Amino acid sequence: MFNKVLVANRGEIAVRIIRACRELGIASVAVYSDADRRALHVRLADEAVNIGPAPASESYLVLDHILQAAAAAGVEAIHPGYGFLAENAAFARAVQQAGLVFIGPSPEAIEAMGDKGQARAWMQAAGVPVVPGYQGLDDPAALEAAAAQIGFPLLIKAAAGGGGKGMRVVYQTDEMAEAAAAARREALHAFGDGRLILERYIPHARHIEFQVLGDQQGNLVHLFERECSVQRRHQKIIEETPSPYLNETLRAEMGAAATAAARSVGYTNAGTVEFIVDPQTGEFFFLEMNTRLQVEHPVTEWTVGIDLVQWQIRIAAGETMPFKQSDLFQRGHAIECRLYAEDPANNFLPATGPLLTFIEPSGPGVRVDNGYTSGDQITIHYDPLIAKVTAWGEDRPAAIRRMTAALRETVLMGVTHNGQFLQDVLSAPQFIAGEVYTTWVEEHFNGWQPPQCGLPPEVLVAAALAQLTPQSAAPDEHDPYSPWRTPNGYRVGQ
Amino acid sequence: MYFRYQFGQQTAEVTLERSGEGFRALVGGVAYAVEVLDRQPGEISLRFNGRPLTFYWAQDGSRKWLSQGGCTYWLDPPAQRASQLGSEVDGSTAIRAPMPAQVRAVQVAPGDPVQRGQVLLLLEAMKMEIQVKSPAAGRVNRLLAAAGQTVDRDQLLVEIGE
Repeated sequence: MFNKVLVANRGEIAVRIIRACRELGIASVAVYSDADRRALHVRLADEAVNIGPAPASESYLVLDHILQAAAAAGVEAIHPGYGFLAENAAFARAVQQAGLVFIGPSPEAIEAMGDKGQARAWMQAAGVPVVPGYQGLDDPAALEAAAAQIGFPLLIKAAAGGGGKGMRVVYQTDEMAEAAAAARREALHAFGDGRLILERYIPHARHIEFQVLGDQQGNLVHLFERECSVQRRHQKIIEETPSPYLNETLRAEMGAAATAAARSVGYTNAGTVEFIVDPQTGEFFFLEMNTRLQVEHPVTEWTVGIDLVQWQIRIAAGETMPFKQSDLFQRGHAIECRLYAEDPANNFLPATGPLLTFIEPSGPGVRVDNGYTSGDQITIHYDPLIAKVTAWGEDRPAAIRRMTAALRETVLMGVTHNGQFLQDVLSAPQFIAGEVYTTWVEEHFNGWQPPQCGLPPEVLVAAALAQLTPQSAAPDEHDPYSPWRTPNGYRVGQ
Repeated sequence: MYFRYQFGQQTAEVTLERSGEGFRALVGGVAYAVEVLDRQPGEISLRFNGRPLTFYWAQDGSRKWLSQGGCTYWLDPPAQRASQLGSEVDGSTAIRAPMPAQVRAVQVAPGDPVQRGQVLLLLEAMKMEIQVKSPAAGRVNRLLAAAGQTVDRDQLLVEIGE
């Protein structure tokens, strides 16, 4: 096992990995930009190294800075988390060339799955169903010809992409040129690669993904699915497992397809095979494979009882998985809600500001993966994810009730966030019935406003009383029962 | 004691009078019996018409944040918001930042004629790019943003005139 691991990330996932290291008796080294000097992951790590200015392109995305920090700290392995350099094959290779272990799949597997066009071809060869479409397109004429073949609506996405960046749905021919240009610009900016893919767009499609885990000895299992259909702008906001849609037959078929997909590229470590499912036909199609830990991994951990991050590290260190596919089963139901610094009443656009107060929910079956604490600043430089709240219950209704209670208990002030929106989604009849799809949020919550647009009188009274200092509120010296006369009451200036 | 706050577009008023061990609060002509049960930094517990409730609160400049039962509220000093947020400035159309962001590119110059729907600027925050488009045809009267600049939500970026 390693003695020291560098965590090449920030926010909640860096915190998550640092905790796993600590539990395994491994010293952790955090890296941080100038904006993250006092961030939670820095405070929790055993060591911390500055890797540059606030913009990610000058710090968390700079291979050399990470490698220099690793050399200076004398680590044996690097965990990339998700995002940033996690799916960068050149980084994985550079880590290996520096004589260190990359906690993740091989650079070859990242490369094979990283180029979505190539991955489609791989999957077709491996017998995994893919969405009808065209790949690796560069010039506008070829794009328009391909679009005519597929028909509308269709999806444009970055060949090198992920996380919805550079992705556009196009409904008619005259929207193509502008959408392609915008997608290419975003793709270039985010991934340094402007090539695009066109695909048939399946309306009301569900997004269901399978967690896979493989060791270096050739054992490979799936850890069941995660339903991720509740999305806004192609980004997941609520995930759960098991999926309310899958039956045992489809689950077994998709699980087999997921392991076949991973096996075809000699996959090791944790990865996720994403499928879209057409609820009209029950067909499923390979969407992409994320060659890294997933944001929503906690729901799998809750129900399967396996610590994915610890196993990522143990597998990278050469350990053999002690469980086979037939040993794995799920217990109960788990849901994750992503608390984002964004304004659901303003097209979910990002929000920034100071996190004046953040009080996490707690209680049986509630887990919070947080990247920030009270007093931290949410800036424009990084992801808007503040924390993930996950809840486990004996069944789906119990998990939903527990999650709702947890969100009600959460206190998050200083920055606009989606806490109330998440509660509204959880109580929507379609969500409770499990009848959601990837464009459901857009269609059903368009023009959403906070449910209590009014200001309840108790809140107004609390505001006034909070403003009232004990001294200003103690005008009546003759009142022996005044709360301001109690000898242990706090006074301004003391 | 009289308090007045701005809550979104509306003005909210409350009057507190001492009464027995607590207060009598008047909101919109309705009286409530209120008692302070506990007071900690950033936290106040009340008995509100017999119902125990705990509120968390925080202050950010002049803005007061409150949280109770999974809902978050913010209150401003009276009538500050309204004056900030007019869309018309001297007969021209003011275009403001829809989110806090960095200006990625400016695609117009002062004096340029613009079409309705034309992209004026590109903003980026948290790895997301959005296009700021002109809501009307006209001419760029003032340009108050430059590439690379960081802007706040609702900050004035461009004025489009006749």
